[in-house]
Amino acid sequence: MSAVGIRLEGISKRFAHRVKGEVYAVRDVSLTVQPAELLTLLGPSGCGKTTTLRMIAGFEQPDAGRVFIGEQDVTGLMANQRNIGFVFQNYALFPHLSVFENVAYGLRVQRQPEQEIARAVGDVLALVGLQGYDRQFPNQLSGGEQQRVALARAIVIRPRVLLFDEPLSNLDAKLRVHMRGELRELQQRLRISAVYVTHDQEEAMAISDRIAVMHQGQIVQEGTAESLYRHPGSEFVAQFIGRTNLLSGRVRSAGPGEIELEVAGQHLRLPGDAERATAGQILRLVVRPEVIELRPADSPDGIAGTIVSRTFLGEKAEYQVRVGADLLQVTSYNPVQRGLFTVGQPVRLHFPAEGIQLLPGGPA
Amino acid sequence: MTSIAAARTDGWRRTLRDPALFVTVFILWALLALFILFPLAKLLARTFLDGGQITLGNLVAILRDVNHRQAFWNSLLLAALVGLCGTVLGFVYAFAAVRANLSRAWITVLDAASLLPLISPPFTTAIAMIYSFGPRGLITYHLLGIKGFTVYGLHSTLFSETLTYFPIAYLTLKPILAGIDPNVEDMAFSLGSSRWRVFRTVTLPLTVPGLANAFLLLFAASLADFATPLILAGNSFPVLPTQAYLQITGLFDLKGGAVLSFVLLVPALVVYLLQRFWVSRKYYVTITGKVGAQTTIKSLAPWARAPLLGACLLLAGVVLYFYVLLFYASVVVALGANHAWTWRHYQVIFTEGLKAIRDTLVIAGAGMPLGGLYGILLGYLVAKKIFPGRQAMEIVSMINYALPGTIVGIAYLIAFNDPPIVLTGTALIIVACYVFRYSPTGIRATVALLQQIDPSIEEASQGLGAGSGTTFRRITLPLILPAFFAGLGVVFIRSMTAISATIFLVSINWTLITVRILENMTELSLGPAAAFSVLVVVIVFAVIVAISGLLRRFRTPGAVDMTSILGG
Amino acid sequence: MPRFCSRYSCLAIPFLLVWLLGWAAAPAVAADTVNAYSIWPENWARPMFQEFEKATGIKVNFVRFSSGEALARVIHEKNNPQVDVLFGGPVETHAAGIKEGIFEPYKPPSFNVLPPRFRHSEGQWVAIADDPLVFMSNNTFLKEHNLKPPASWGDLLDPAYKNMIQMADARTSGTAVTRIFSVLETYGRDEEKAFDYMKKLRPNVQLYTKSGGGGTLPVGLGQAGAGIFFIVDALDTKAKGYDVTISFPKEGIGTSAEAIALLKGAKNPELGKKLIDWAASPAMQSLFAKYKINFVPAHPEVKIEPSLAEVLKGAKIFPIDDAFAGANRKRIVERWVNEVLNPK
Repeated sequence: MSAVGIRLEGISKRFAHRVKGEVYAVRDVSLTVQPAELLTLLGPSGCGKTTTLRMIAGFEQPDAGRVFIGEQDVTGLMANQRNIGFVFQNYALFPHLSVFENVAYGLRVQRQPEQEIARAVGDVLALVGLQGYDRQFPNQLSGGEQQRVALARAIVIRPRVLLFDEPLSNLDAKLRVHMRGELRELQQRLRISAVYVTHDQEEAMAISDRIAVMHQGQIVQEGTAESLYRHPGSEFVAQFIGRTNLLSGRVRSAGPGEIELEVAGQHLRLPGDAERATAGQILRLVVRPEVIELRPADSPDGIAGTIVSRTFLGEKAEYQVRVGADLLQVTSYNPVQRGLFTVGQPVRLHFPAEGIQLLPGGPA
Repeated sequence: MTSIAAARTDGWRRTLRDPALFVTVFILWALLALFILFPLAKLLARTFLDGGQITLGNLVAILRDVNHRQAFWNSLLLAALVGLCGTVLGFVYAFAAVRANLSRAWITVLDAASLLPLISPPFTTAIAMIYSFGPRGLITYHLLGIKGFTVYGLHSTLFSETLTYFPIAYLTLKPILAGIDPNVEDMAFSLGSSRWRVFRTVTLPLTVPGLANAFLLLFAASLADFATPLILAGNSFPVLPTQAYLQITGLFDLKGGAVLSFVLLVPALVVYLLQRFWVSRKYYVTITGKVGAQTTIKSLAPWARAPLLGACLLLAGVVLYFYVLLFYASVVVALGANHAWTWRHYQVIFTEGLKAIRDTLVIAGAGMPLGGLYGILLGYLVAKKIFPGRQAMEIVSMINYALPGTIVGIAYLIAFNDPPIVLTGTALIIVACYVFRYSPTGIRATVALLQQIDPSIEEASQGLGAGSGTTFRRITLPLILPAFFAGLGVVFIRSMTAISATIFLVSINWTLITVRILENMTELSLGPAAAFSVLVVVIVFAVIVAISGLLRRFRTPGAVDMTSILGG
Repeated sequence: MPRFCSRYSCLAIPFLLVWLLGWAAAPAVAADTVNAYSIWPENWARPMFQEFEKATGIKVNFVRFSSGEALARVIHEKNNPQVDVLFGGPVETHAAGIKEGIFEPYKPPSFNVLPPRFRHSEGQWVAIADDPLVFMSNNTFLKEHNLKPPASWGDLLDPAYKNMIQMADARTSGTAVTRIFSVLETYGRDEEKAFDYMKKLRPNVQLYTKSGGGGTLPVGLGQAGAGIFFIVDALDTKAKGYDVTISFPKEGIGTSAEAIALLKGAKNPELGKKLIDWAASPAMQSLFAKYKINFVPAHPEVKIEPSLAEVLKGAKIFPIDDAFAGANRKRIVERWVNEVLNPK
């Protein structure tokens, strides 16, 4: 079966809030998931990502807009008519059915012959590494095992799309890391389009083909992990994906393809669109902690600062450095080899131009 | 379109879009209207209408009678006292069972003793009371040598009703006391509190909502009790349900009886409203079967254990004494005169009384599945589906349960005697009375159980391609099966032991064991009355055991234990 | 799915069992059945009805209610009578029913042979038995208080009887109504004197019972010391083995006929008539002795059973004028409830 994509056109969903009145949970969202692609909806809680996912699934009806799976407009269809595979945050296993019966459920609904069911269930349980678990009941399984049963149950029916609603948030950290890899590998192997919802940006970056960042019901930026990281379109995205320092810089002059700014007392020349900048304008700069270089206080250039705190984490050291009125986060990798600074030590910070991202628009 | 209006039409639209839902809601409303609202309306009409005009005349005429006014205050007084005493007893009992570190054996004894009053037909304690406490009673005269002791009046009615109803308080308070985390008490101890202080400032406050609930339950039960005062209250202490009954059967004044039952309705309604909107908001009854690792309960001083156990055993002993006396009465020729051993009375009930036994079993047997089914259907709809009038449906379904049986019986008598709907003389009227009076326990159990089932489970079923019918049948139904059985069990038990409503509904074609017991007592055939009572206790006990077994067998692994609901 | 089916099918078993149990006990339905409310207790009605079935092949389907309840039911069911015959019960109950128009006048063959007080002039009811009231007292109680069995209405006023007498409640029992009218008769229908007596008696009354015979067992057991009952109930208690004595007041005590009536609109009027024919005739009333039912037969051709006659010897018994009783029943009972039952 060839993979199909998903397309949302202008989806909106309103709720009546007890205090705030009418509230948009999802406002005018459009996106496309390519066949066999894994797209993650990423955002803080309350941003509308789960609601969007549930509208794709058919558990919620959009107030406006349309949902397409492949070329089919499924907006009016109920969830049981869309042939989707949904994995819930709390797994939603049927407590009164065994593992075998849980997984077989969808096949039974399709009235598949018994032999076929037994074969398919056996195959998929092997796929998720749960051979021999047929007769167990959900209350006897660990979290990770339950998760895998939920996954098996969703994929055994050969859905057109897979939908994941924060499936790993109930697992402990190590298991989460392990499972996300397995999920991704499975999705790729089966070549099923998938939409994945999470608030964990590391998870999103680890498994997605593309990420759509959502904020207050709308998609604020879409792209690969790398493009989002390197070219955040707003402060929100910059701070949500990875960590960052946000600095203000005054435009001194703007030449072709280049802008000169004064940042924290230092002059910087950054590549940028001259049309966007006028002299005297304040622009916001995204400066990731790991691009800032710390040099000893007696270095010739750079901005002066003082180490306020230091956290040694083995492969990296995280510093908080006071620069003027600001407190900057600086991450230094391989500190054992490259040298450690101590608290209270004066240092000089170097901002390499190519590591800094200009944000469009004026001061936030 | 604003969102609220959108939501409302959305609700209608959604309901109309799902034809199964629409039909079911419609049918349920039709049933509720017919068997709950219509009789009540007819009762109110009889009370307040006179020749087409709304009038308070009937009400005034009844209330002008000193006797009836006295009955009103008596009913309230008795109910309050029973509520108080029963709650205290129930609390002591529950405390002993749960927090005194008793062995399983003792707890089983206490449980068994508290079960008996719940599954007995009426009059059981009343019979034994007269023999024990009358002027020549077993205890007052022969044991204690008191002469001329009056057994009729408030004191014996209070005593008898307290014994009959304290198990309700016990069953209400037990899970609450059990649910108080002993670690909380340990915490208080570690802060230097004395035992008494911990009890006063930690345990008791946490129990207060439960105490309020138990009080209200007992108040309502006593208010509605028709049987015990009929035997024990005597002429000096009239109470409303009995007065209403006598008004109809003695003075053949149906209108007067209707008015009296309306007077009874007011306090009953107040109690129901209090319970629903005040007490149940204040706490969450979690029926949890989970037994985690616990610290030993230290809230009871070791020296207090023995007296507490002793008090409870005394109570259990008193209850058992009454039942032994009952059994004894059924196997001697004539209690108090001829104590020769005989099986004659059992022969009598199985020959002459066979019709009553057959009728009762058929009616109970019919009501059982109907009540169970109706219970889960209504419970499911009210808990899970959104449709217009949902809240109203839930409230209406509870009405007949909240009202005293006398009122329901009289209402049915008035409503179904004349066209358009004539049901008097049929079994249907009795079955309907039982189903709509006693299903609310099953409804509440279903709602409680459904609240514990995550909605995502049903969504998961939907996502896997199942329609709502399949989802209900294969996922929801098996999970709420315990509520179904609990509902079944309660309807059956109450069908076997109820009298206050159905005494008005028996006919030449259908009679009930409880009514026969009353007749026998009136005719002073105590042997058969006792034999019938023993039979009822045995049958009900057997059914409870069977249903508990079924509950255990069909229990979802890891799910909640529902057997305690059988007390409801 | 086979597993599911077996799971659910075993649920059906308990239901089937209960139903089977119920239906297994179902009696075979006879060809001809007449329906009746019996005011007589089952112990007496049943043997009579069984004899009736033996004699005629007609089965009697009956339910027992006390007189007040039976009358209330029949009046309530006026538009749709559930039974054909109202069997037994003090005649004043039937008299009260006439006003409500619930009876169908019918004169059985024995009608003309019966003395006038044993039949309604238009045939609204006929008497099938006579039932005098008696005093019954507990022998142990009498001995303890050094009393003789009460031989006068005034004897009951003795303070020794304080709170130790039981008698019927006029709101529900025909026995009580007969008793009250007896008192009235002994006081020459002077209501003031009669009510004065009853009010004086009140403190001695432990309980007014719902049914006429409700106090017999307490007296038998000694819970109560004495009571006023119909002779059938009193002798029944004695026969059970309780240590009691029957006595009569010298001023006289009333007796009430037991009646039978056909209901208007009865569904089986012919069968009902057959039952009335049989009950009003020696066919039934000669059976009283056989079954030790201590009614005095109404039919003049039936002899009183010797031991019963012995008990009645020397007793002054007068009939209650049922026309008078019927006309004043409601008013007298109300007055009794207000002045005697619950004195202010």
